Amino acid sequence: MTNRVYILHLWVRLWHWGNALAIIALSITGISLHFSDPNLPLVEFSLAARIHNVAGVILAGLWVVFVTGNIVTGNWWQYIPKPPGIIKRCLTQMKYYGSGIFKGEPEPYPPTPEVNFNVLQALTYWSIMYMVLPVVILTGLVFLYPQFAPDKLFGLDGLLPIAMVHYIGAAVILLFMVSHIYLGTVGPKVSSLFKMMITGWYEH
Amino acid sequence: MFSTINRKLRGAVALLALMAAPLAFADEPPPSPEELVKIQAANGKCLACHSEAGLKKPPKEGLDLKKLRSHLVHLDTYTESDHGQMACTKCHGDGYDEHPHEADAKDSLSECQDCHARKAMRIERQFDKSVHAENLSETFTCVTCHDAHTMTLAAKLRDPHKIVAQDNKICLDCHDSDLAFAKMAPDKKKRPPIDDIHDWLPNTRLHWKAVRCIECHTPTEDKLSLSHEIQNKDKAEKKCATCHSANSSLNARLYRHLATEEQNKYGFLNSVILSNSYVVGATRNPTLDMILIGLFVATLAGVIGHGLVRAIMTRLRRRKNHD
Repeated sequence: MTNRVYILHLWVRLWHWGNALAIIALSITGISLHFSDPNLPLVEFSLAARIHNVAGVILAGLWVVFVTGNIVTGNWWQYIPKPPGIIKRCLTQMKYYGSGIFKGEPEPYPPTPEVNFNVLQALTYWSIMYMVLPVVILTGLVFLYPQFAPDKLFGLDGLLPIAMVHYIGAAVILLFMVSHIYLGTVGPKVSSLFKMMITGWYEH
Repeated sequence: MFSTINRKLRGAVALLALMAAPLAFADEPPPSPEELVKIQAANGKCLACHSEAGLKKPPKEGLDLKKLRSHLVHLDTYTESDHGQMACTKCHGDGYDEHPHEADAKDSLSECQDCHARKAMRIERQFDKSVHAENLSETFTCVTCHDAHTMTLAAKLRDPHKIVAQDNKICLDCHDSDLAFAKMAPDKKKRPPIDDIHDWLPNTRLHWKAVRCIECHTPTEDKLSLSHEIQNKDKAEKKCATCHSANSSLNARLYRHLATEEQNKYGFLNSVILSNSYVVGATRNPTLDMILIGLFVATLAGVIGHGLVRAIMTRLRRRKNHD
């Protein structure tokens, strides 16, 4: 018999998918803009620039929704790994991904309504959402309003460091997205966690 | 008809001038310090009236101040300009020596091709194909755009910001002003609002501060200088990637005078542009790109490998349980 528990509220799921769509649009257009080549356009440059601008503003808005929603509902607590034994639980989780998962062992810290994420998830999500993404959004906004960028820095255009941080931060998010989508398949069934992300119910 | 004959005549005159004077004025060496002192003293006499100070405190009574206002020269700008070491009388010859100037003095004004014969011939061919020649061939001359008292060659200015400011002002003085546009434009031709017709271009006004109108509105075939074939929207460049790419055409245009300098500052492509602008797609760092692409490929390979091992192990376990 399948047990199911309700884990994710509607607002978290709506935010998550909105965020996902925005990041996918930003990744495709961002890659197209950065590696722009007249002979090999992924998305035509001015179209890519417009999509990137709109999706970027949407992403910034969604980040505000995320932070506000977390404060109002108390959901922010989910992203804080709780002592004791944080490091030990990290190592157990890594060991599971490195070997236990291949042997068919059960997930050591499955999601519950009280604790949605294992320690690795909580730490990663917290870092991405509160450290990397704000930096990418802020530098992106400076890109949108370059008059706020420093005029010159070390004899070079002041937008250069902004662009570099934006590019590296975005690459980190892209790497996170690839791993995140893959780790979505490690539930009881390959589809379990994707289903949970849509319905809010975790089936095991 | 007349304009064709006129143009042919002008071409013939220019050709004659070229043959008669192989060493044109434009190629003359700069004046010696002694000559320069004399030139400046002579120019001072002209500027006694033809300057802001002269307009405020006219040295003579009975001057037509309204007329004078439109014939002022800013000494510092003039001195910095390409013609800044030349005597006013080099171009303003007969009829300008005394005041009041002779009524027909304007007719004896030197023309640009008198000194720039070789250049004028090359430019004339380009200009004839331009949108300005198409619509305004009767009235459009060198000085419509190039004020001989202020122009400085891009090669001399070098700083792209200064080049952009100088050159875009020329275009925008007419194309961003209904009054100035109406003075030149054929009857009934209304000035298209400059922002509206460029609304496809993201960050329009920022582009105009960073690059020149002519980066997109001229073809690139001329290797000696940028072409004078100003093109309208049908022919103008609309592909962003022409500038926004590793092989950016900005190197052959705005940055042509700097492009021979160090090209690989901090390992960036088109690093000569970086001192003034960060151009998405053009000013990239291939080493950083390779590192990030490598990380992306490694992550992708990692998750695909992990997934494959998981799938194989699950299948093996199932088979084992079956047995």
